[in-house]
Amino acid sequence: MNSKIMTASEAVERFIFDGASVGFSGQNVVGAPMAITHEIIRQKKKNLTLLGCNLSLPADILIGAGLVRKCEWGTCNIGYRGIPSMGYSARKYYQEGKLEIEDYEHLGMVSRFLAGEMGLPFMPVMSSLGSDILKYKAPSTEKKFEIIENPWNPGEKVLLMPAATPDVAIVHVQRADEMGDAIMEGFTATIPELVRASKKVIVSCEEIISSEETRNYPEMTTIPYIYVDAVVEQPWGSHPTATYRYYDCDVEHLRMYQECAEAALKEGKSGMQKYQDYLQEYVLSCDTFNDYLEKIGGVKKLMELKQRMREVI
Amino acid sequence: MGDIAYKKEELMVIEASKHINDGEIVFTGIGLPVVAVTLAQKTHAPNVTVVVESGVVGPQLKLAPLSIADSKIMRRAARLGSLREVLACILQRGMVDVGFIGGAQIDQYANLNSTVIGDYYKPKVRFPGSGGANPIASHAKRLLIITPHQKRRFVKKCDYITSPGYIDGPYGRKNAGLRMWNPSITVITDLCVMDIDSASGKLQLAKLMPDVTIEQVVENTSFELIIPPKVDVVDLPTETELNLIRKEIDPEGIYFSNKQN
Repeated sequence: MNSKIMTASEAVERFIFDGASVGFSGQNVVGAPMAITHEIIRQKKKNLTLLGCNLSLPADILIGAGLVRKCEWGTCNIGYRGIPSMGYSARKYYQEGKLEIEDYEHLGMVSRFLAGEMGLPFMPVMSSLGSDILKYKAPSTEKKFEIIENPWNPGEKVLLMPAATPDVAIVHVQRADEMGDAIMEGFTATIPELVRASKKVIVSCEEIISSEETRNYPEMTTIPYIYVDAVVEQPWGSHPTATYRYYDCDVEHLRMYQECAEAALKEGKSGMQKYQDYLQEYVLSCDTFNDYLEKIGGVKKLMELKQRMREVI
Repeated sequence: MGDIAYKKEELMVIEASKHINDGEIVFTGIGLPVVAVTLAQKTHAPNVTVVVESGVVGPQLKLAPLSIADSKIMRRAARLGSLREVLACILQRGMVDVGFIGGAQIDQYANLNSTVIGDYYKPKVRFPGSGGANPIASHAKRLLIITPHQKRRFVKKCDYITSPGYIDGPYGRKNAGLRMWNPSITVITDLCVMDIDSASGKLQLAKLMPDVTIEQVVENTSFELIIPPKVDVVDLPTETELNLIRKEIDPEGIYFSNKQN
């Protein structure tokens, strides 16, 4: 079988297009596919619709780069150790009317991926009921939900949420083989449902291993190759968020990012310049994610983050 | 005993821990709730099972987690699974005894807002949104809310109901279709403890924090809080409780020195 190994640049060029709907892995400060996210910014893929439970940093930086039209999310939360939780770019663009947000909650959102991965049109959910999540919808959403009566228990309300089937899912995992069999360690958050619900899947990984190895222990595989279209090897590929067992999140860098994004919201032209300078320095002026890793402190910093992970697990 | 110095937040956490019983399943968010659960585990409730939305079931907390996706909360867990396993297969199916939630606004029916201040489409401030808060508020048997007591936070009506309390009255949840239609809700602030008056579905004063007057509570609440004829006072913290918090659970003072988000 043909190898699916390619560079981040090739993967984004082949599978992400203007106007695409894109789902992301990542929960807060863990497991966000930042290497691929940076590449999307360099290639300026625009008018994107982002889908996920906690879209955290990938959403915020893509919004800040002006590439996002709409988000369908449970939340956009980067909060950690005193770092403000709301992504400031998301806040800025929404408050300025430049971004559509379709608010769901995590159970509703993962149920939408669950419907998608099972080839079903919708999924019953018993949360969101009675909340304003059902009262408001984004301007471009035609129908957000339906409430029916349980056919087996007359009088009981059941909420239906539409299936979500993103054009592309982008996930970061620990290991994958050349065919795309991917192994995740630690919690999987929404990755299993998201990946199987999406039409194309880009997997970035800390290490590529041989399919000889994965085939010896197939029960360890989280995502089998049939769902995967591209495998990108990128060590430290979720920096500044963490990868379980590999490295902790980079609190200092996350804080700096949020400071730049906050400046763009609150300090007018000079603040917006500060954010643009961040994008220029850490994303646009880098040829690859490896260049970025040099700029954030290189091997010395990365080894510190590795050590921090060792201390907490 | 009465002259031990303590921080308001420490007493809030100690009070919250007393609402957790041994053997229960507790859904924790971030910040102070984690200290409360850990304190309960170290005192009267050693067999509490913690679940976290990212997929963590039954971790043995080494350090209290600061974020729901912090690697620390995975330590020696029974299972590192998926978000759906926790939110659907544990929470939605009704296995969670206690859930912690919070918000930028809380109203007289204990509804919470963590989405927008102002108009939804043109807000004054946009917040992160629900995350796991709405499902927790929908499905946990009991809800605990630890929050600072401020007039702007305790509003008559939330600008946006992210997580339902009693919505608009005693049968608000039932009418909306929520199966867990009459959960116990306890709000713990730096001024008092509140719970739900079952006749109206509204918040009522349950206990005052030491040295706080009813007038102070009323002054800092924008809605008409139900005041029952008899209001107890929260017990002062014991030396044991404070030592557990300061020496074992949060020796770096992270939770009580920085502003948590």
